[in-house]
Amino acid sequence: MRPDGWLFLIIAWGFIAGLTFYCFKKILTKKTV
Amino acid sequence: MSKTLTNRQQWGSRLGIIMAVAGSAIGLGNFLRFPAKVAANGGGAFLIPYFVALLLLGIPLMWIEWTLGRYGGGFGHGTAPGIFHSIWRKNRFIKYFGVIGIFGPLVIFIYYTYIESWTLAYSFFALFGKYHGLMDQAGMKSFLSGYQGLEQNQYFNGLGWAYCFFLITFVLNAVVIYHGIKGGIERFCKWALPALFFCAIILFVRVLTLGTPNPAQPDWNINNGLGFVWNPDFSALKSARVWLEAAGQIFFTLSVGIGVILTYASYLRKGDDVVLSGTTATSVNEFAEVILGGSIILPAAFVFFGPTEIQNIAQSGTFNLGFVTMPLVVNQMPLSHLMGFLWFFLLFLAGITSSVSLAQPAVAFLEDEFNLTRKRAVMIFAAVAFILCHPAILFLKNGVVDELDFWGGTFCLVVFATVEVILFSWVFGMEKAWAEVHHGADMNVPAIYKFIIKYITPLFLLAILGAWFYQDWLKVILMENVAPENKIYVLATRLGLLAMFVVLAILVKLAWKRKYKEEEIRP
Repeated sequence: MRPDGWLFLIIAWGFIAGLTFYCFKKILTKKTV
Repeated sequence: MSKTLTNRQQWGSRLGIIMAVAGSAIGLGNFLRFPAKVAANGGGAFLIPYFVALLLLGIPLMWIEWTLGRYGGGFGHGTAPGIFHSIWRKNRFIKYFGVIGIFGPLVIFIYYTYIESWTLAYSFFALFGKYHGLMDQAGMKSFLSGYQGLEQNQYFNGLGWAYCFFLITFVLNAVVIYHGIKGGIERFCKWALPALFFCAIILFVRVLTLGTPNPAQPDWNINNGLGFVWNPDFSALKSARVWLEAAGQIFFTLSVGIGVILTYASYLRKGDDVVLSGTTATSVNEFAEVILGGSIILPAAFVFFGPTEIQNIAQSGTFNLGFVTMPLVVNQMPLSHLMGFLWFFLLFLAGITSSVSLAQPAVAFLEDEFNLTRKRAVMIFAAVAFILCHPAILFLKNGVVDELDFWGGTFCLVVFATVEVILFSWVFGMEKAWAEVHHGADMNVPAIYKFIIKYITPLFLLAILGAWFYQDWLKVILMENVAPENKIYVLATRLGLLAMFVVLAILVKLAWKRKYKEEEIRP
């Protein structure tokens, strides 16, 4: 894989993994009524 | 006696609906269609239009459908006719546009279930080594054709196996929806989704650790395999077709524009969050697609078939990728029986969590608008759908599945999504819609989305519709890409679809007539 390929992969994976982590963290730390 | 709103089913938990919506979204497309689209449309560079479409089309439509669904559910409507009517009561005809939200899922269901049953069958075949000795494309294609009943050969001599697995799959779907939203779909998705990710992650790790299996071909390695998918070709971005393909992929992958999310969201309570939940379902789907789906089949195929053959493989279509290429790849791995089983069971779980969502709008329509019990609604749906599934099984080689997929899985999506977003932003009104989205929300939608949802998303959708009409409309209507011997089957399918739509529209009319009559009688 070329360096620009790695760049795209890391950015895409990072964004999605980060968003998923953020969402679940928010859900799991929310106090439920 | 009309069903009261308090009788309406509800999700048991927030994670429950998130798993259900994510399950609806995650399907064969995540693991087959996405990698093929990336490889054919500029590699890593495709992720640029893909993420633009995700931010301007996918996520807004996700929020819109969750919001409209919850809103309509508050009036006892779980499907688009009733939901659209709730938004625009003065318009007598808008509910008929909503028919697409029942028609589309039903059309997709009646072929999708059959394809899903192939994945169950192949899981079984993988485990018991039924295709284990096959080492080339011709042999594996022949195996698939035999299974599909397209030819009689040493592997199969008719549709017996295929029909058996179809029956099992159909019954499984019926059993899940029979048990309802909480006891059926939610309960099922709460184990099916983790199981799906378990299978996918094992395959993901297995593929990423393939290294260079053939020392005689040092370039056939996993690094280059990933490069085939991700190395960007920026010249592809100059093509409008690539941008359309990216938008289309976002549509399919998120299950927006079908009507299923409207129905699922209608079972939320009025104060339940839609923003964070919708975003979570989206991110779970993208995780399955971009991270897992993009890293399994094509990189693995590259490692075993090399850079020349992979070009043909990537263009060979979804069925070929899933049912010919991947088994051949897996046959060359250690523990091939297990790996094959994991691959096909992963696809089966992805499929069934989607198909139960495709069944639910029709069932919800019968329950909500005709006050049928869930049991009766499911029985009626199952009887009708069972019959409707047969053209796809019996006339596969005649283009019936392609035709159903085009109208139900392509055309309807874009039209329906366009109607939804215009209703949401312009009829309901952006101020009221914004307040409704944020009611009970656990996350704020960025303010820029007020502008995006009102202007950009509708324009994007109209551009897709316009481009499609300009490029393909006449060719489709005149059946230019259909073989002469298949034209009669395609025409029959179109007439059948038209009849289905008309029947559903008549049912909507009858349902509304009953309601007005009841309201007149009630003191």
